[in-house]
Amino acid sequence: MDVQRQDVVIPDHVPPELVRDFSFWTAPGMAPQPGGCPQAALSYVHYEMPRIFYAPVNTYDGYGTWVITRADDQRRVLQDAETFSNNRFLFKEALGEDLPMVPLEIDPPEHGKYRALLNPLLSPKRVAAMAQGARERAVGLIEGLKGRGSCEALTEFAFPYAVGIFLRFLGLPDNRLMEFVGWANAQFHGTPEERLVAMRTVMDFMKELVARRRSEPVDDFVSFLLAAEVDGRPLNDREILGIATLLFEAGLDTVAAALAFGLYHLATHPDDQAKLRAEPELIKTALEEFLRAYATTQLIRRAAKDVEFEGVQIKAGDFISCASMIANRDPREFPDPDRVDIQRDNNRHVAFAYGPHRCVGSHLARMELAIGFEEFLARIPPFRIKEGTAPTTYGGHVFGIENLVLAWD
Amino acid sequence: MKVKVTGVCQGHARCAAIAPHLFKLDEDGYIRPEDIDVPPGDEALAQRGARACPERALSAVDDGAPAEERRAPRI
Repeated sequence: MDVQRQDVVIPDHVPPELVRDFSFWTAPGMAPQPGGCPQAALSYVHYEMPRIFYAPVNTYDGYGTWVITRADDQRRVLQDAETFSNNRFLFKEALGEDLPMVPLEIDPPEHGKYRALLNPLLSPKRVAAMAQGARERAVGLIEGLKGRGSCEALTEFAFPYAVGIFLRFLGLPDNRLMEFVGWANAQFHGTPEERLVAMRTVMDFMKELVARRRSEPVDDFVSFLLAAEVDGRPLNDREILGIATLLFEAGLDTVAAALAFGLYHLATHPDDQAKLRAEPELIKTALEEFLRAYATTQLIRRAAKDVEFEGVQIKAGDFISCASMIANRDPREFPDPDRVDIQRDNNRHVAFAYGPHRCVGSHLARMELAIGFEEFLARIPPFRIKEGTAPTTYGGHVFGIENLVLAWD
Repeated sequence: MKVKVTGVCQGHARCAAIAPHLFKLDEDGYIRPEDIDVPPGDEALAQRGARACPERALSAVDDGAPAEERRAPRI
C-alpha cells in the first residue's frame, strides 16, 4: 500500500486494545490475486475483531480510521449525519482547491437543498424512462460479441454498457469512455502522484466543460445545473463543479464493477446461472444478493464532535469507515452471510449506504444491473471463465475485478 | 392493518419495489410521512414491503382486529 504519511501516529484517546493491524490494502485477500473474492476474505472481521476497532493506516490518503463492523452500527452512524459528518474536504486536502463534492460532502440541513435538485433526475420514475435506451445498448453490445464465443466482460460489455449510459446521462462523449475509466482507476488505485494527477485532470476537464456549457447550453446534466437554483439563486461555479465532479467520480464505473462481480459469480456457479436462465423473474432478487455479497464501496465519515459510540470514545476529527463489504457479511443481519443465496429474502444490504447520503444513483444502478443480467443471460449461451484465464480481484478503497474473460460454446 | 412511517425515508424505494400499489412514492421517489391503510388481503405484502426498508423506517401494525384473530397460528 502506498502511504503518504510515513509517521503513523495512533491518537492518545484510542485504547491500545482496540488497535488492529488491518487495512483494506493489507488484510488477507486484499492484494490483487487471480480468482479471489476480497469480500469473502473480509468476513473474518466479524469473528476475530472487536465490534469497533481502530486501523492506523486505512484510507487511500493514509489516515487511520475506526472500523464499524456491524450492519446495525453502520446504520446508526450513517443515519446520524450531524455527528458523523461527510465533509472530508477530499479535493481541498489533495489539491488545495476549496471544492466540496456536492452534495456528498455537505451535511444536513444544507445537504437537502442540493439533494432535492438531483433526486428528480434519478427518481424511480425517471429511471424507468431510461430503461428502453439501456436495453438497446445492452442488446447491441451483446449481439456484437455473441458469435465470438468469448469476451472480456469488463472492457467489452460492462464498461461500454454501464459507463456509456452514465456518460449519456452526464452529457459526456462516449468515445472517451476508456479514458474516463482510466482517470477513475488512477484516483482510487494509483500511486499518490497518479492520484493527484487524476484528480487534477478530472477537475480541469469539468471546469472546461462547465465553461463550455455556460456559453453554449445543451440538453445535458451540466446545462441543467447551470440553470438550477438553490435558495432562489443560481448555483455558483464551485457548486456546479462539485456536483458534476462527485457524480463523475461516484457513478462512473461502480455499476460496471457490480455487473462484473455478478457475471463472475454466475460463471463460477453454473447452478445459479441455470436457475436464472430458467426463471428470469428471479434476476431482481439475485442482483440484490450480488450487491450484498460483492459490494465494492466504503463510506467514510468524520466525527463532527466528541461522541461515545457503543462504549468507544470517538473524538472530533476521527475518521470512521463504514465498509459495505463488511456490514453485508454481518451474521447478525444476514443468516449464513458467506453463502451467496440468489433467492435471499429480506436483503437489506448497505451497498447504497443508509441515511441522507443514500446513493442518489441507486435506482439507475438497479435498473442497469437488471437489464444487463437479463439480456446477457437471454442472449449468451451458458458461460464459464475461459480456460487458462482467471480474473484478478483486489481490495482497496473501492474493490474491483479485472480480466474477466468469459467463454461459451 | 396499517403501515406506519416510524423513521426517516431516504428514498431507497424497496417498499415500492415489492408493492407499488401500497407504497406510493412522490416525484422524487420518497414515501409520504403518513400512515398507509392496508386493504384486507394485502397484509402479507405490506409486511414484506415494510421489512424491505434498509433504514428500518416502516412498521406494519395491526389495528382493529381482535387479539385472538391477530395472533399468528402456532404450527
